[in-house]
Amino acid sequence: MRDAYQEQLDDLADGLAGMCAQVARAMEKATRSLLEVDLQLAEEVISDDVRVDEIRATAEEKAFALLALQAPVATDLRIVVSAIHGAGDIERMGDLALHVAQAARRRHPQPVLPDEIKPYFAEMGRVGVQLAIKAGDVIRSRDLAAAAQLESDDDAMDDLHRHMFSVLMDRNWSHGVGPAVDIALLARFYERYADHAVAVARRIVYVVTGRMPGPLTV
Amino acid sequence: MPPDPLPQQLADISELLGRMCTVVAGALQRATCALLEGRERLAQQVVAGDAQVDALRAQVEGIATDALLFHAPVAGDLRRVVSAIRSAGDVERMGDLALHVAEAAGRGRPLPAEVHADFAEMARLAVDLAVKAAEVARTRNVVLAVELDTDDDAMDALHAHMFGVLMADGWSHGVPAAVDITLLARYYERFADHAVTVARETVYAVTGREPDAIPI
Repeated sequence: MRDAYQEQLDDLADGLAGMCAQVARAMEKATRSLLEVDLQLAEEVISDDVRVDEIRATAEEKAFALLALQAPVATDLRIVVSAIHGAGDIERMGDLALHVAQAARRRHPQPVLPDEIKPYFAEMGRVGVQLAIKAGDVIRSRDLAAAAQLESDDDAMDDLHRHMFSVLMDRNWSHGVGPAVDIALLARFYERYADHAVAVARRIVYVVTGRMPGPLTV
Repeated sequence: MPPDPLPQQLADISELLGRMCTVVAGALQRATCALLEGRERLAQQVVAGDAQVDALRAQVEGIATDALLFHAPVAGDLRRVVSAIRSAGDVERMGDLALHVAEAAGRGRPLPAEVHADFAEMARLAVDLAVKAAEVARTRNVVLAVELDTDDDAMDALHAHMFGVLMADGWSHGVPAAVDITLLARYYERFADHAVTVARETVYAVTGREPDAIPI
């Protein structure tokens, strides 16, 4: 039978994995609100963001209780410290999904994205949501190979991000300054979202191995 | 070697966090000079200097983890250790943002002269916030910490103003300059936000409450 302490640790991991699922859904909806110019979806993402903040607060309380009452050592201590970091990263992912939804709401009923730009954002949204789901899986499984997989998935996001800028900076860009400014920020939100998912996975590598993988380039 | 006593570790953590804030304040100051005066060597120095911030962060985390491991602190001491771990992440991110400004400066696309004054002002506000965050980290002065929130309002106003400038009909510098300015303005705004977060973490560590609940 598992003891209460082990149960508390698992509970902490479950909370964080659930938070990943929540921000994955948020980004999925935010991306759809952007692509389909759907105000109601955008509003849903905006009003749901407090839930992410609440889950974070709960996770942090659990982490504090563990530290104060159980004084964990070794791997368990790393789990708790990583959970504190992870909760911050995942909350930020929620904020970034919120920013995407806010952009969709701000321009509504106008679309934020010209039609030929939409496929890029559909793809950035897909890659971002997958990264969040995978980060949640890695929190549960502590599978190092799956954690490493996030890094290569993130390369796809970086490529999309870079490509988006070359489109904006091209002399043939015909949509003017306003959309370019929106797109530059939006592309950055997706790229940051993905970076935070990777950071969560890297913390899991640290939990398992006791060492951080090489520096994250941001 | 036996671990240092907890009070020594807590003092070291505060000192290191303070130093991190001072270092990133200097980095953003120099990155801004590089940006506005087109000084590429200076930009390279900022880029090279970022490793120092990362090393300081690792040091803070190392001491904090040791404190948890050897002393199992509770209550206010526990909050102080945990908030230091979080704050170190925020300050490291401030270093990354200064680095992004320096990288933009090194790209050799000078900003239009008409936005120089706005960027100088954003830099002044951001550097000021980081210097204040350093003092808050060192002295744990809650009153000063709450002040940072108000200072950040000026940054938000300036950030909003920049978008107004870009979106105005009279904007004549084209799309690439507008995209550069959009991202740069965001870097300054995020830098300031993280400085505010560091101060808020300190309020939380000292009082056990979020700053919003403090009647100052």
